[in-house]
Parts: sequence; C-alpha cells; structure tokens
Amino acid sequence: MIAATFVPEYTASIFLPALYVGLITGFIALFGISIQKNDLDVLILTDIIGLSMLVIVSAVGTDLAEALILPGLVVELAEIMAISELLLTREMRKLEKDGPLLPNTFKLDMEILNTAPNFIAIILVLYGVFLTGFTGGAIAGAGILFYAISKKSKGLNINIFDGIAGISGIAWTLWIIGFLTFFIVPQYWLLSLLLAAFGILIKVALKMGLIGIMNREEIKKE
Amino acid sequence: MMESQIWFISGAFLLILGSIATVTGPGVKDPIIRTLNTEVAAVGISLILLTYNHTLALLTYIAASVIVSMILLRLIVRLDEMGVEL
Repeated sequence: MIAATFVPEYTASIFLPALYVGLITGFIALFGISIQKNDLDVLILTDIIGLSMLVIVSAVGTDLAEALILPGLVVELAEIMAISELLLTREMRKLEKDGPLLPNTFKLDMEILNTAPNFIAIILVLYGVFLTGFTGGAIAGAGILFYAISKKSKGLNINIFDGIAGISGIAWTLWIIGFLTFFIVPQYWLLSLLLAAFGILIKVALKMGLIGIMNREEIKKE
Repeated sequence: MMESQIWFISGAFLLILGSIATVTGPGVKDPIIRTLNTEVAAVGISLILLTYNHTLALLTYIAASVIVSMILLRLIVRLDEMGVEL
C-alpha cells in the first residue's frame, strides 16, 4: 500500500469514508439545485457544493491537499461574489433602479467611530505583514477594506484607490519573477522565496482595492 | 482510536445534516434562514479539516465562510430593499 508511506495510517484509513461523505453532500446539493426555481436559492446551494469539493480534496491528507484547498476557497469566493453582483445588476435593470455598491451612509456622532477603525485597521495590516504570503495578504486586505468601508459609511470621500491597482500589478510581476528565478537560478532560492512571498502579500492585500474602484465607477455613472 | 475518530464522525454527520437542512430544512422558504442553515455544514467541514490537521486551510476557511455569508446576506437585503419577490 503506497499511500501508507506518505500519509499517516489514520488518514489513509478514513480516506474512503471521507470520499463518500463528500460525494453524498455533493449529491444532496445538486438534487436541491435541480428542484429549485429561484436563482437566489441556487446561489446559496452552490456554497454547499463548494463544501463537498473541500472534503474530497482534504481527504488526500498531505500538504498537497492543504495547498489545493486555498485556491479552491478563493475561486469559490470569487464565484459567489461575481454571481451575486450579476443577480443584483439584473434586478436593477429590470426595475430600472440604481444604488451604491457599499453600504449606505449614516450619520452617527460617536467617539469610537473615529478612533476604532484606524486602530483595528493598523492591527490587521501589521499582523498581515508579519504573516506574509497568502494568509497575510488576506488579513492585511481585510484591514484596508475595513478602513475604507468605515470611512465611507461615515460619509467621507475616499480617493486612495487610484494607485492601488498599479501597485497590485507590479506585485504580481514580482511574484512571477520569483517563480522564474526558482527554475532558472536555483541557488538564489532565498531571494526568489522572499520575492514570491512579499509579492503575493501585496497583491492579495491590494485586490481589495478593486472593490473601491468598482464603487468609484458607479459614482461616475450618475 | 475512538477519541480521534469522534471528530471525523461528528464532522461528517454535521456536514450531511447541514446540507439536507439547506436543501429542505424547516423554513427554507426564507433565504436568510437558508443562508444560516449553511453554517451547520460549515461547522461540520471545520471539524473535518481539524481531523486532518490542516491548520492553514481551517483558518482560511473560517475567514472565507464569514465573507461568503456576508456577501449572501448583503445580496438578500439589497434584493429585499428593491422590492424583488424572494
């Protein structure tokens, strides 16, 4: 049995049950999709299908599984985000109404609304930079997004998203250069590792800036 | 062996129960209740990832599932505000 030499015996022993659990979950969710008429319900059930994919991938039980789960999660997230925007836009066109992408503004005069967003955003960004890599990028991006949304919902004007898209592109090329260096000159592996790690940190963090750009485009339309 | 298997079994049970509840559970006519039912399945998959020691995947999944439910709830609320029949 070749699997037992690479993965723990316990993981190999629950491979088949995990596979069946994933298949049963996927079957239930697909059955639910087939009997639904409403698009919103179908979108919610798509979430469950993503879960069955996660079980089947994680049943492999090695580092490879962990490396495959992260992009799977991101793709699922992007898919749900895109389809929800699609549904909203379609209903807006039907009713010929329009609205902002981010939550509506509200006026509240509280001290904590001035100080807390800055503090939480700084903590999130610092912790994200400390982590580096993919997870760090997500956490730092959440900090940036949180700052932008909390400024927006107080009714302030935010124009910080202009350069962010350009920096995100540069970080992406850093990541690719890091990957190329791995294959061309393997003796500089530390440099390429750092290039890839910080490149993906900046890139994932600044992806959140895209939401701000989408919001600005909607303001321009009016 | 029972101690470590109990996590996997309860995770699988919660996952299947949560998916059945999302498809045809009590009160799924309301999209908000349907979205909240997916959280049962989310707890199940967290237990399964915990069994396999996939720490990074577990942390990322927790963050991603929060964002997914935020997106879905925002969509439901916005559609409701526009007066679309759900």
